[in-house]
Amino acid sequence: MTIRPALLLAFVALGLSPLGAATTILRGPYLQSATPDSIVIRWRTDATEASVVSYGTDREQLTSVAKAEGILTEHIVPLSELKPATTYYYTVGSVPFAPPAAGKSGSSSRAAIHSFTTPPPAGTVKPTRIWVLGDPGTKNDVQRAVRDAYYNFTAKRATDLWLLLGDNAYPDGTDADYQKAIFEMYPATLRTSPVWPALGNHDARSANSATQSGVYYDIFSLPTRAQAGGVMSGTEAYYSFDHANIHFICLDSHDTERKPDGAMMQWLKADLAATTRDWIIAYFHHPTYTKGTHDSDKDSDSSGRMNDMRAIFLPVLEQGGVDLILTGHSHVYERSPLINGHYGKSPTFDAAKHVVQRGDGRFGGDGAYRKKRGRVPNAGEVSIVTGSAGQAGSKPPPLNHPVFYLALNEAGSSVIDVDGLRLDLTFINDKGEKRDWFSIIKE
Amino acid sequence: MRAPPPILLVVLVATALRAHPEIEAGLARLNTAVATQPGNADLYLERGELYARHEEWFHAEANYLTAAELAPRHAGIFRARGALALARRLPAEALSFLNEARDLDPADLSTRILRARALRQLGRNVESGEELDHVLRQSRSPSPDLILERAALLSPPESLRMLDGFLSRTGPVPALEMRALSLEESLGRIDAALARLDRLTAAAERKEAWLRRRGDILRRTGRETEARAAYTAALTAVSSLPPWLRESPESAALANELATLARSPSSSPP
Ligand SMILES: [Fe+2]
Repeated sequence: MTIRPALLLAFVALGLSPLGAATTILRGPYLQSATPDSIVIRWRTDATEASVVSYGTDREQLTSVAKAEGILTEHIVPLSELKPATTYYYTVGSVPFAPPAAGKSGSSSRAAIHSFTTPPPAGTVKPTRIWVLGDPGTKNDVQRAVRDAYYNFTAKRATDLWLLLGDNAYPDGTDADYQKAIFEMYPATLRTSPVWPALGNHDARSANSATQSGVYYDIFSLPTRAQAGGVMSGTEAYYSFDHANIHFICLDSHDTERKPDGAMMQWLKADLAATTRDWIIAYFHHPTYTKGTHDSDKDSDSSGRMNDMRAIFLPVLEQGGVDLILTGHSHVYERSPLINGHYGKSPTFDAAKHVVQRGDGRFGGDGAYRKKRGRVPNAGEVSIVTGSAGQAGSKPPPLNHPVFYLALNEAGSSVIDVDGLRLDLTFINDKGEKRDWFSIIKE
Repeated sequence: MRAPPPILLVVLVATALRAHPEIEAGLARLNTAVATQPGNADLYLERGELYARHEEWFHAEANYLTAAELAPRHAGIFRARGALALARRLPAEALSFLNEARDLDPADLSTRILRARALRQLGRNVESGEELDHVLRQSRSPSPDLILERAALLSPPESLRMLDGFLSRTGPVPALEMRALSLEESLGRIDAALARLDRLTAAAERKEAWLRRRGDILRRTGRETEARAAYTAALTAVSSLPPWLRESPESAALANELATLARSPSSSPP
């Protein structure tokens, strides 16, 4: 169903949103590829129409307008020339937003107004909250409970960005799976915080990294040309971006060549060599270590992908100065102390050799983990499997990998707060309990 | 529709007990589904793929066989059997399955990529390249690995031409630029290689690694004065980093190395 021009004019004259009247938003709006001066806003409607975003820094003055070509149902509108660290209000629709006429009651405008805040200039310091969800997409009550536990925890504190560590929509990563597991599960967060996903094995059942095709690649607009910082990867399968003084690196551990001379590795090395940010956080689906619902000691488990990430990619990440590694796939929470240099199976782990700083990493406990500021190779990272945002292991998993300080078979999600040279991570379970926390300080 | 032989089912169910948790969970779901729909080929295909992902080739094959009996003209089953044969390094067998899969569903690009790989393993490089060309033409944004896979089947000048074609579309993807660089060096087109490096350097936030590479190429080709100038420029790039990065052990080590390289050709690493 499309709206006739005369009708459209009538709607505008009356200050009504034609979108509300004629079409339904089935999905979104959702935010993609946020940079200090740009963002991509996407949404889906049940009928074809134009794509228009009205926005401004004053809620009452959405006078800037961005449009995309074409009459369609899948709307992708890039906003540019934004100001960094600035809150913008916006609406989406098929025509520019018209505010309610003076003297009319507030119900005359039916378009919902949302907001987002642009990242600060790359490299500058700003307290940043990051929500990390591994393997969330079960669509069930556990996923909802994990979500609500985080919403209670963060309350009014805004989520600056969120990461999906893969297996975002079970069982097959189809468009319908994503609709239920992501778009109907996190609508409020999608409207206000940019989401940065990684590809998991279940997502890859409906997507192909070699041809950049399928549902995952259709749904997400990710940087291929270093639009958000870092070195350009030329593919949405793996990419990097900057937010404040943090450099994020997303790898495709499932469907991209993991050979030492593959394109992903060449890009990773170039990207690590190029960054001047204080923090490096890497995330991907397959864990380097786990004894949860997967076993990183077993060569056949996940066709050796965990081995590859540990033996091939981990040495390069550590040499490049990575601070935090976030993975999923195993539906548990497993967290190491500050470690470095363990690339073999678990029997070869030697705490004397591989633990850079032992203890719980907590203020008030053994003390925060401490690293020197600067790109110090092999100075240690905390490795975290946080793959229980949709379910925990149904049978008690062994959870006995020696690399980990703590391992929990509990559903939950992780929250990272970065403020200057301090990073805090907290794991919140599905009952809202704070089950782990630690800090890293750079000095 | 025919139900699978009962003995096969018993074997397949029994193996679930030995598998690890993900297989167990997947198998539990699929076994229940198979019990209620024993004639559904897609369920056997899915169960086979679950085993194949965990390199349980024997069980994967058994499920594919049942699936193929139930649905003899199913493109997905032919593709899965082709992928399995390829994983087991049986390219001729893989090709015959993948030919069937392609004939039944020519638009499935993942079949075409597998088919190109089977052809290459059989030494049929021209056909393999043609198949990859088809995939590259049909892909909205092919991965750098796929572009490199195609380029590797061409002569160096052709390969370089092809890479530049993609680079003009994608922008300076490091893996493609690196391959182009080494091709240019191998063809003796040193100035073209240097121009390429200059573009990469200009776009980089940290320039020292690219400048160092420039010095290495120049030194390898005997352009000693220019090589030293490049190493010196790299050294300057290191010293203009912010203090907390410049003073890191990594930067200090690089600076030492660059200082040595800038001084004497004899002390350069092999
Ligand atoms: Fe997974």
